[in-house]
Amino acid sequence: MLNYNSSLIKENSYSELSMKAINPIMKFIIRGRKREFLSGVGKTLNMILPTEPCTSSSNNDTTAIWLSPDEWMVFSNNVVNKDINSYELENLLVNTISKANLGAITDVTDQYVLINIKGKKIFDLLSLGCPFNFNDFRNKKGSVIQSLIAKIDIIVHLKEIDNINLLVRRSYSEHLYSFLCDAASRI
Amino acid sequence: MFLINCPFCGEREQSEFKAGGEAHILRPKQPTELSDDEWAEYLFMRKNIKGIQFERWNHSHGCRKWFNVIRDTSNDQIKAVYKMGQKPPAI
Repeated sequence: MLNYNSSLIKENSYSELSMKAINPIMKFIIRGRKREFLSGVGKTLNMILPTEPCTSSSNNDTTAIWLSPDEWMVFSNNVVNKDINSYELENLLVNTISKANLGAITDVTDQYVLINIKGKKIFDLLSLGCPFNFNDFRNKKGSVIQSLIAKIDIIVHLKEIDNINLLVRRSYSEHLYSFLCDAASRI
Repeated sequence: MFLINCPFCGEREQSEFKAGGEAHILRPKQPTELSDDEWAEYLFMRKNIKGIQFERWNHSHGCRKWFNVIRDTSNDQIKAVYKMGQKPPAI
């Protein structure tokens, strides 16, 4: 059994801003190039993988986000059972993708921490440490970018308008969270 | 600091990228037949010119893909960006 205990347990609220780490969320990295790979994943996940850069697609249970031309991250929309660390979807993907030699799938559930940030001032907060220009991004629901905040690699997914999922490596998550809390208390 | 138009992700800031040195250097087909000087020429000698230079860049904090950039080293102006394996556009 993996240890999902996180030090980011409390929900922090500021004026027009609230953030909370959500766990456990099932996460996979899938890689592949072939057309059979795309159709196989599409059938298994019951949705089409986004092929346009910096976009995502989702259904009721899962979201797939574009990371590079041959790499996607798939994560569950809701928390999963914390006592289990093998997932039905993973087994299905292993059978259709890995065993057929079409691509690769890696479980990164415990490698990434998902921080959900809501509120009107999200992009005022992110712009304090991120070089990316969010002016167009903030109005396009479902967009995804990978960038840096305070030199930490992050993935930002615009879940809804004024509601983002921030994915960060677990070893950086505590530092990033304290940076974000400190920054949020000053805007 | 300058912006680089990643051929996969779009316009991003330079701090997301890593420079990978001069582009279009071909590895000799028969390294064993080269003299030490010729091998050193291939391995170490770079032009490092002031002016228009062909370079490789990696979007290391984004899509992690390599691509080529034509940059004027005197003023950091980027003339063109093209993918690996493509021929450099005329400038």
